[in-house]
Amino acid sequence: MKLYSILIMTLVIFIGGCATPNTGYYWENYSGTLYNYKKNPNENTKQKHIKELEKIIQKAASKGSRVPPGIHAELGYMLAKQGNKSTAIEQFQKETITYPESKNFIERIYMMLGLRE
Amino acid sequence: MKNLTMILIGGLFLAGCGSIPTQTKLEAYPAMYDDRQPLSVLVIPAINKTTAADATDYFNVTITEPLSNLGYYTMPVEIVKDIFLKEGIVDSQMIKGIPTSVFRKNFGADAVLFVTINAWDKNYIVISGNVTVSMEYVMLSTDSNEILWQYSATQVIDTTADSSGFIIADLIATALTTATTDYVPIAKQVNYQAFAGLPHGQYSSLHRTDMEQAILVSLKEAATDEN
Repeated sequence: MKLYSILIMTLVIFIGGCATPNTGYYWENYSGTLYNYKKNPNENTKQKHIKELEKIIQKAASKGSRVPPGIHAELGYMLAKQGNKSTAIEQFQKETITYPESKNFIERIYMMLGLRE
Repeated sequence: MKNLTMILIGGLFLAGCGSIPTQTKLEAYPAMYDDRQPLSVLVIPAINKTTAADATDYFNVTITEPLSNLGYYTMPVEIVKDIFLKEGIVDSQMIKGIPTSVFRKNFGADAVLFVTINAWDKNYIVISGNVTVSMEYVMLSTDSNEILWQYSATQVIDTTADSSGFIIADLIATALTTATTDYVPIAKQVNYQAFAGLPHGQYSSLHRTDMEQAILVSLKEAATDEN
């Protein structure tokens, strides 16, 4: 039985390079709500996607894992577009704290949105 | 139990592939194992060469998840798209001529990833439905402009509805399924599969441990090697 499990484990490792997340990220239904918002951009689909992004952040906090790349940035971007500038900036700052390599990208978003820290 | 069966089938499938040439990841992508390996990747919104306009969004919304899970910092494609629009870039095809160093300077990206959809054909024939997907991915260094990683594949994905045992009902169900199939998970699956051969990035626990992992060399590339 032990040998059997080892065999399966080996196969899983071999095949599963694609499926096993080795970063510990939780994405919830990120692509689903984003797609719906893109397909039918309205207040309802927008709020659902914002909720989903917040859920991803909460999930990471409860699991003690890192928030996936771009989630704080995307939430900040959506909040900024609906006028919540201060909460948007908070999110952008969280993105650069979690991922220092995002600094230039976030700077670029500030330029586009006309935001300054 | 179902998972176990699937694993066993996977094993059989792989065992059957013995004759297909393989390479280690290190052999295939040496630049990904030294300081040329990118930390941040700018995914350029997908270039869609098909007549299926809807295919673009399926790939754009499902690409950051698998790429991030491999351990790379990935910028949200929708924001990138808006920045490009503001700069007058409406079609990613226009970006192909721009020196990649521009993206290092303006976005802090170590690499750019071009994604091209070459085929997205939905079919349903009698009681089966499927979609033929042909994709091409090229990751370029914004430092040296060299190709760091690339992958292309064509596959047929089954979208047939579960059989009810009644042929007429099945016919209708398949036609309906193909028309209303949720293609988001299908595109996600295709993207995940593409990155299966990508060396793990710095945020992955498998970073620098997957060099010896075997990957399939595409038949086209293998044929070129022989020439």
